[in-house]
Amino acid sequence: MSRIGVFTCHCGENIGATVDCGKVAECSRSIPGVVHSVDYKYMCSDPGQGMIKEAIKEHGLTGVVVAACSPRMHEPTFRNAVAEAGLNPYLCEMANLREHCSWVHEKGEVTTEKAADLVRVMVEKVKHNQPLHPIRVPVTKRALVLGGGIAGIQAALDIADAGHKVVLVEKSPSIGGHMSQLSETFPTLDCSQCILTPRMVEAARHPNITLMTYAELEKLEGFIGNFKATIRRKARKLDEKLCTGCGLCIQKCPQKKIPDEFNEGLGQRTAIYVPFPQAVPNKPVIDTANCTFFKSGKCKVCEKMCPTGAIRYDQEDELVTLDVGALVLATGFKVMRTDKFPEYGYGQDPDILDGLQFERLASASGPTLGVMKRPSDGKEPETVVFLACSGSRDRAKGVPYCSKICCMYTAKHAMLYRHKVHHGKAVVFYMDIRSGGKDYDEFVRRAIEEDDVQYVRGRVSKIHREDGKLVVKGADTLQGGAPVEIRADMVVLATAVQSQDGSEELAQKLHVSYDPYHFFAESHPKLKPVETNTAGIFLAGACQAPRDIPETVAQASGAAAKVAALFARDELTREPVVAVVNRLPAPTFSYCVGCFLCQSACPYQAIEQEEIKGRDGSVLKVVARVNAGLCQGCGTCVATCRTKAIDIQGFSNEQIYAELMTL
Amino acid sequence: MAFEPKITAFVCNWCTYAGADLTGTSRIKYQPNVRVLRLPCTGRIDFMLLAKAFARGADGIIVSGCHPNDCHYTSGNYHARRRWMVYRDLMDFMGIDTRRVTFSWVSAAEGARWAQLVDEVTATVRELGPYEDYKELALAGVE
Amino acid sequence: MDLTTRSRELLEGGAVKAVIGYEAGRRGGIRPAFVKEAAKAAALVFDGRCTQNLAAYLTRREVKRMGRVALVAAPDTLRALLQLMAERQVKEEDVLALAVAPDGAVTELPTAAAVEEHLAVTAKELKAEDRALLARLDAMTREERWAFWQKELSRCVKCYACRNACPMCYCGHCTMDCNRPQWVPVASHALGNLEYHMVRAMHLAGRCVECGDCGRACPVGIPVHLMAFHCQESVHAQFGQRAGTSAKLDYALSTFRPDDKETFIR
Repeated sequence: MSRIGVFTCHCGENIGATVDCGKVAECSRSIPGVVHSVDYKYMCSDPGQGMIKEAIKEHGLTGVVVAACSPRMHEPTFRNAVAEAGLNPYLCEMANLREHCSWVHEKGEVTTEKAADLVRVMVEKVKHNQPLHPIRVPVTKRALVLGGGIAGIQAALDIADAGHKVVLVEKSPSIGGHMSQLSETFPTLDCSQCILTPRMVEAARHPNITLMTYAELEKLEGFIGNFKATIRRKARKLDEKLCTGCGLCIQKCPQKKIPDEFNEGLGQRTAIYVPFPQAVPNKPVIDTANCTFFKSGKCKVCEKMCPTGAIRYDQEDELVTLDVGALVLATGFKVMRTDKFPEYGYGQDPDILDGLQFERLASASGPTLGVMKRPSDGKEPETVVFLACSGSRDRAKGVPYCSKICCMYTAKHAMLYRHKVHHGKAVVFYMDIRSGGKDYDEFVRRAIEEDDVQYVRGRVSKIHREDGKLVVKGADTLQGGAPVEIRADMVVLATAVQSQDGSEELAQKLHVSYDPYHFFAESHPKLKPVETNTAGIFLAGACQAPRDIPETVAQASGAAAKVAALFARDELTREPVVAVVNRLPAPTFSYCVGCFLCQSACPYQAIEQEEIKGRDGSVLKVVARVNAGLCQGCGTCVATCRTKAIDIQGFSNEQIYAELMTL
Repeated sequence: MAFEPKITAFVCNWCTYAGADLTGTSRIKYQPNVRVLRLPCTGRIDFMLLAKAFARGADGIIVSGCHPNDCHYTSGNYHARRRWMVYRDLMDFMGIDTRRVTFSWVSAAEGARWAQLVDEVTATVRELGPYEDYKELALAGVE
Repeated sequence: MDLTTRSRELLEGGAVKAVIGYEAGRRGGIRPAFVKEAAKAAALVFDGRCTQNLAAYLTRREVKRMGRVALVAAPDTLRALLQLMAERQVKEEDVLALAVAPDGAVTELPTAAAVEEHLAVTAKELKAEDRALLARLDAMTREERWAFWQKELSRCVKCYACRNACPMCYCGHCTMDCNRPQWVPVASHALGNLEYHMVRAMHLAGRCVECGDCGRACPVGIPVHLMAFHCQESVHAQFGQRAGTSAKLDYALSTFRPDDKETFIR
C-alpha cells in the first residue's frame, strides 16, 4: 500500500496569492494513499526540505509529491532531499502549481481546484513510480576533433594540454583552414600566417595530438563517453613515413596548370602538391583527377625523382576505427561564390573577386606575392569597389542572416588596398556597418578617416564592362537614393558566409541538429552555445554560425573545456529515464514479438536484437533489447510497440495511464 | 451553471512544457480549463492516450511538442506527426469530432503562443459544448 | 504443372514438410488443408472460393515447427507473406509460395524477390462492394458516420474472430491482453468495442494488406475490415507506400520524411 506525502508550497506569494494552499493540502489529505499532507511558505528552503525529510522517516513514506514550481526548476533539489532521507529519489515527483497554475490564472476557486487536480495527478503517478538507479557508463578519454582550421587546432591544443589524447581530422591535405589563406587580420592587421603557423606546428608536435589530414569521418556509432568513429584516410598515393617533404617531385611534375584551391583559383599548382609552403604536414598528395599517370598511364616522373621511393600509385583509401569519448565539430564554413550573382555577371569577369580571392591577392604568399595586380591583365587597379553584404541579408539568395565578418574584412580589404596603392581609390558600398567588437569600430573609422576609404550607403544593382572598365551602378541612400556610378578596375564582393558543403549529411551522420542554413545547432542559444543536443558532441567556430577569429578561438576553448570536464571523470552517470523491454519467464520470455518495427523509430539506434537461446544453444526467440547507454529516453518506441512490451522508466504506461485516469 | 470544458493536454517535456513554464514566468494569463500531462517527447504520445482522454470525459484535447527540426531527440516529433496524420484520419472516419483535438507545435520560447493556444481551444470547445456522444459511450462501461 | 502433381513432388522429394492449401469442406464449402503426405495431395483444390488468407497460419507455433512449407497463395496471401518477412516473422527460406493461375498452372515463388516480381504485375484493387461502402461513408456527415459505426459496433461481441483471421495479428500478447494498465475494457460494450476496433485499425495502418479476411470472419457481419482499410489507404495517400509490396518495406509509422505534409497542426 502506498504511503504518499504531499508537500504544498506557497512559494512566498507566488503560489499563495492565487491558490489557497491550505485547501490544496486539505484536499490532498483525502486522496487514497496519502498519509501526510502539509503546506509551507518555502518548500525549497532548508526548513522546507527538512520537513520533507522528517516526514519520510516519521510516516514511512513510499512516495513524495512536492506541489510547488516547475519540475524543470527544482526537481533535482527535491529528489536530492528525498534521497538524503533514504528514499529512492525517483519516488519524488513535482506538481507544477506555479508556472502552470498560480502565475497564469486569476485568484479564485477554479484556480485552487486546478491546483488540487494537478496534485492528484502526481499522486496517482507517484503510486506507480519505481525506484530507479542512475546508469553508469565508462568514459574513453580520447577526443576526436573534426576540422583542422583555427577552431579545430585551438580545441585540440586545449584538450591535449589538459592531458588528454586528441585525434585531429582534417579533410584537406594540410591543417590551417581558412585562416591560413588570410593576408592580414582585423583589427590589428597582423599577418594571419605569422600567428597561425606556430599553432599548426605546435598541434603537429604535441605528444597528445594525432594528426589525420586528408581524412574524413565515415561513420559514428555509440554515445557520450563511448563513441566509435570510423575515419576514411584518403590515399595520398604516398608513404608518409618515407617522404621527407623535399619537394623534388613537385618541382618536376609536368602538370603545372591546375587551378590552385589554396589561392582560390588565382594561381596554379602541380598534380602532386602541398597546398601551401607552410603546410602541416609538409607531405604532398597526388591529385589523381589531374595526374598524367592516372589519366594516361604514362609519366611516373615523381616516382623517378623521389629520393626515398615514397610514391605509392596503388595506395588505397584506408578505414580506421577509433574509440573516442567526445567529439568537437570544427568543420568551418564556405563563402558564397561570385557565380551566384547574375546582377554582377555570374562570376564571369576575372576582375570581380570574392573576399577570399582578395585575401590571396593581398597576401605576401599569394599568387602576386602581395602586389596589387588585377587578375585580367596584371595591371595595378586604380579604383577598387568593395561591396559589403553580397548575398548576406538577402532572402532572394537564401541567406537572410548577417554573415557578421564582412563589414570588418571589407574595411580591412579597403585599407590593405590603400596601403599598397597609395594613389588608388577605394569605395565601399554597404547597408549598415556592423562593427561590434573590441577595437572594431575604431578600425572602421580608421579606414574612413585615415585611409580615405569612401563609404557609400547603398546597394549596387548592376556591374557591367564598358571600355575596359567595370561600371558599378548603385544608389546612395543617404543622398535620397541618388544614382551613383563608379568606373572601377576591380570589384570585390564580400560574399556571404555559408555552411560547409556536406554539413547536412555530416549532421545526420552524427545525429546533431542543424538550422535551416545547415549550420549545426547549439543545444541552447544562450546557455549551451558549445553543446549540441547529442551529449558528448560539441561545437567550435563557424560550423555553428558565422564567426570571426577571436570568437572562434574562444568557442573552441569553451568546447575543449567541456571535453576536459567530461574526461575529468572515469564514469558518467545518466538519468535512468530509458526504455526497457519486458522480460518474462520461459516460454514467453518477453511480450516482444520481434517485429523490430521499433528499431527505425529510435533516433539513437539504441534498439538491438537479442537472441534468447535454449540450453542446447538453439535460438528460441529473438527479441528487442534497449542499450541503456544509447537510449536517451524519448519513448518513441513505446508508442510504436503494439504488444506494450517496451516501456519507459519514469514515464511508463502505468504512470501516464494513472495520471490520465484521475482527470 | 455555464458549461466549462475539460481540456486535457499531452505535451513534450522539452518544448511545450518548457514553453508553458515560460508563459508562467512571463505571467501571461490563460483559461484554467487545461490539465497538462508531461511526457518526454511527442514521439512518446501513444494514440491510445487520446482515446482514453475522451473516455475520461475530456471535451477537448491538445497535443503539442517541438516544431519540426527542433525535437530534443532529433526526430520524435516527426514520428508523432505521421502517427497523428493517420490517427486523425481514423478518428474522422469513425465519426469522432476532430475539432476537439488540436495538434500544435509550441516551442520553449513561445510562452505567449501557449496561452493563446489554450484560450483558443477552450473557446472553440466551449462553443462546441460538452462532448455528449463520447460521454454517453463512456457511461456504457459503468455497471 | 498442376497443384496436386507439384505438391506431391514437393512432399515426396522432401523439399517441403507440408503444403498449406485448400480442400473441399462440408456442404460445398472450402476449408484450409495441411497436407503432409504425398498421397493426400489429391485433396488440394484452388478456385474462386479460396479466399481465406493462409498466410495467417505461418506465424502459428505449430506451423513454424514444421520446417519449410509450401503455401498455396492468392495475391493477398503473397502480400501478407512479404509483409511478414518485412516484420521478421517469416524467413524467406521457410516458405515456398505456390501461385495458381486461373488455368490451374502453378508458379513457384521460392524467394521474396520472386514474390515481389510476381506481385508487381498484379495491382491491388479493393472489391467493388468495399469501395462502394467506403465511398458511402465518405459522403456521410461526421454525425452520420458516428451513428453508422455505433450501430455496427453495437453488435460486436469481442469474439476476436477478426484478430484470429488476420495474418498481421500475430502478436502473442495483444494490446487487448494488457492489464497493467488495462488500456481497453475487456467487456464488450460501446466504449470497449470502439476502442478495440480503433486500436486494431491503427495497429494495422501501414501493415494491412487489405485482404478483408477480418471482415469475412466477423460472425455478426460488421465490416470491421473497412477501418483497417481506411488507415491503410490513409498511409498510402499520405506516405505513398503499401504494405506487402516488399520484404524490406520500412514501417510507415516508424519512419518519416522531414517534409511530410499535413494541414492540421497549428
